[in-house]
Amino acid sequence: MSESSPITNQAAASTKRLPGDLAIWFFIMAEMVAFAVFFSAYAFTRAGHVEMFNLYQQTLDRNLGALNTVLLITGSWFIVLAVQAAHRDDQKAISRNILLGFLCGGGFLAVKIIEYSAKFGAGISMSTNTFYMFYISLTFFHFMHVILGMVILAVLWFQSRKGVYGSHDANGLESGAAYWHMVDLLWIVLFPLVYVMR
Amino acid sequence: MSGAFTKSMARNIFYGGTVFFFLLFLALSFDTHSQLPKRDMRQNITPQVIEGKKLWEVNNCIGCHTLMGEGAYFAPELGNVIVRYGDEGVKAFIKSRPKDGIPGRRSMPQFNFTDEQLNAIVAFLKHVNSINDANWPPNDQG
Amino acid sequence: MQFKSQAVAKPYFIAAIGLFVGQILFGLILGLQYVLGDFLFPAIPFNVARMVHTNLLIVWLLFGFMGGAYFMIPEESETELFSPKLALAMFWIFLVAGALTIVGYLTVPYATLAAMTGNNLIETMGREFLEQPLPTKLGIVVVALAFLFNLTMTMLKGKKTAIAMVLMIGLWGLAVFFLFSFYNPVNVVLDKFFWWWTVHLWVEGVWELILGSFLAFVLIKTTGVDREVIEKWLYVIVTLTLISGIIGTGHHYFWIGTPEYWQWWGSIFSALEPIPFFGMTVFAFNMVNRRRREHPNKAAVLWALGTGVMSFLGAGVWGFLHTLAPVNYYTHGTQITAAHGHMAFYGAYAMVNLMMISYAMPILRGRAANSNKSQVLEMWSFWLMTIAMVFITLFLTAAGILQVWLQRVSDTPLPFMVAQEKIQLFYWMREWAGVAFLIGLIVYITSFFVGGEEEKAK
Repeated sequence: MSESSPITNQAAASTKRLPGDLAIWFFIMAEMVAFAVFFSAYAFTRAGHVEMFNLYQQTLDRNLGALNTVLLITGSWFIVLAVQAAHRDDQKAISRNILLGFLCGGGFLAVKIIEYSAKFGAGISMSTNTFYMFYISLTFFHFMHVILGMVILAVLWFQSRKGVYGSHDANGLESGAAYWHMVDLLWIVLFPLVYVMR
Repeated sequence: MSGAFTKSMARNIFYGGTVFFFLLFLALSFDTHSQLPKRDMRQNITPQVIEGKKLWEVNNCIGCHTLMGEGAYFAPELGNVIVRYGDEGVKAFIKSRPKDGIPGRRSMPQFNFTDEQLNAIVAFLKHVNSINDANWPPNDQG
Repeated sequence: MQFKSQAVAKPYFIAAIGLFVGQILFGLILGLQYVLGDFLFPAIPFNVARMVHTNLLIVWLLFGFMGGAYFMIPEESETELFSPKLALAMFWIFLVAGALTIVGYLTVPYATLAAMTGNNLIETMGREFLEQPLPTKLGIVVVALAFLFNLTMTMLKGKKTAIAMVLMIGLWGLAVFFLFSFYNPVNVVLDKFFWWWTVHLWVEGVWELILGSFLAFVLIKTTGVDREVIEKWLYVIVTLTLISGIIGTGHHYFWIGTPEYWQWWGSIFSALEPIPFFGMTVFAFNMVNRRRREHPNKAAVLWALGTGVMSFLGAGVWGFLHTLAPVNYYTHGTQITAAHGHMAFYGAYAMVNLMMISYAMPILRGRAANSNKSQVLEMWSFWLMTIAMVFITLFLTAAGILQVWLQRVSDTPLPFMVAQEKIQLFYWMREWAGVAFLIGLIVYITSFFVGGEEEKAK
């Protein structure tokens, strides 16, 4: 490796290490494969029914979707701050940022429930048509993941209050953070795919 | 810490993942239950249909036939047999099975059903045929 | 043998093998009935023979699971079994109940058996694989609860290893999901819906935990690889199993009156089901390659590798072949299903039990491993049975493809029986492959009775 600059060296060194536990990465891979297959199924089915998909896509609330995107990205950002705080052993900042990330997740759920209640109130279900089948399946599957992510964040928060994480050991925190970023990433694919792309 | 892979993390993910997917399965099952009344024609389940289902079971019909594709694969699909033979055809077929079978051929036992029982069986098979099973089987041959 | 009480496993293993023989004999009868329709009619009609074939399969696998668990849990927990007497009592209850059930199937018309055994109280009979009369079903519950009580108490007083925990979750799940066999609503769609909660959540859910746990146990013992390593991989594999397998239940909800979104959910998640099986194969080969010792019991290692490969082929590949809804629309309820069922059950559950027996039986008979002569015979039986099963599966697959074409896809679909007659050749070849399987099984049993100098632990 060339000794060009200390910054690139540092970057190279940090990419060598997989943050978090290998076990969580197996889980993340499995989840992403499931979503990837689901997304592809959506794309192929849409290709066969473009007009129908476009028509019903207009009934979705893009503003709420965009708000949720902001909430999740912000949530991810707080979790990044929490991990960074752990590496410099700033115990207070770890807990605070996890809590803020958790609240962003809660905001997402609240917005999603508003969106769902409008749809379900109008009598829409997975059996209404193929578009709504995908819309509800994908968003609900993701919704459940946000809940799971929040459960993980809650555990991390309790652990961080006990001072478990720090520069000596951030394995648990990094693993939970990796999962939370996955939840975010999935939404960033899902939102344009189902709500926006025409 | 590089390349951590711990048993406790693997264990927690096993428990968490299992609970998560089981809850998801329960949620989907819950939705299924709210949708079924539109598909399973439960309003048409008369005492005669119930009697027919019982006869279907206690004579182990599923041990040779399939019903909506499930069962043994030794004898024809019966979910749509009414379409192939009609009410009277089904009854006549069951009634006319020779006691000792047909030499060299797959044979159905002679069950000695009464006319009332035959009517119940037909009522059950008609009910199954009326269930919305996503257009299965692909054709009338089952 | 490290603990005296592990000896209770022995009668369970012997019974398992005995019932296995019965299962294969009835399989051959069924195979003949496919081509000589009136064979043994009306004495043993097809449905009776099939019920005996499938019920013997389930019961011998359960005997194998119980024997394996009685052998494994004391060793894992490092303590004697809570109550060896209870284990033996349950053995006899289960054996007698099982034998009486089979005798009942064979001697009395099924409807009479139903009337005799109180089916009118709770109607549970006459559904595929769950044909057992009410007293037998209740007996299974009693035996399973006593068995679980015994093992749980053993574990509570000893060590709780990961392998033992996974096994116990699998076994408790087995008992819990069996309870759905008592639920038989008059609505046939609901009936089928919950029937799968026993059948699918057994074979593509909790049984796989038992499979993984047995495999991990034998791999630790025979390869000497660090327990920590094996246990964490076990967790990863069983996690993948359940995240794909639970929602994978949906692949049975395509055409039975359930909502059509199951075609998507079922297809997507069951398409992932081969992954854990592939993981199991890689796991087995990896651990054997990394072995730190040469265990004298080479036959057990062969079964361990074999179950990895064959469960991947049978459950993983052959399952995937027809699991996607657009394919399944045509293959549902044909010989394709039968082909998959045969290789999956043999590869995953028959072989894992034979692996456990192969590892444990010599120890129960007071030696580390059988004589070289005996092991060579056992390995012959491995190849004979496994290759025979591959051919059974291939012939049934060929029969199935033709059946699908003739009966469902062609422009002039043929009636079921006409199509069946046109594919007789493949049923004959399947029957001969079945004979080869029986020969393999005879060789297997012979291997228990040849002497020779026993292998010393190295």
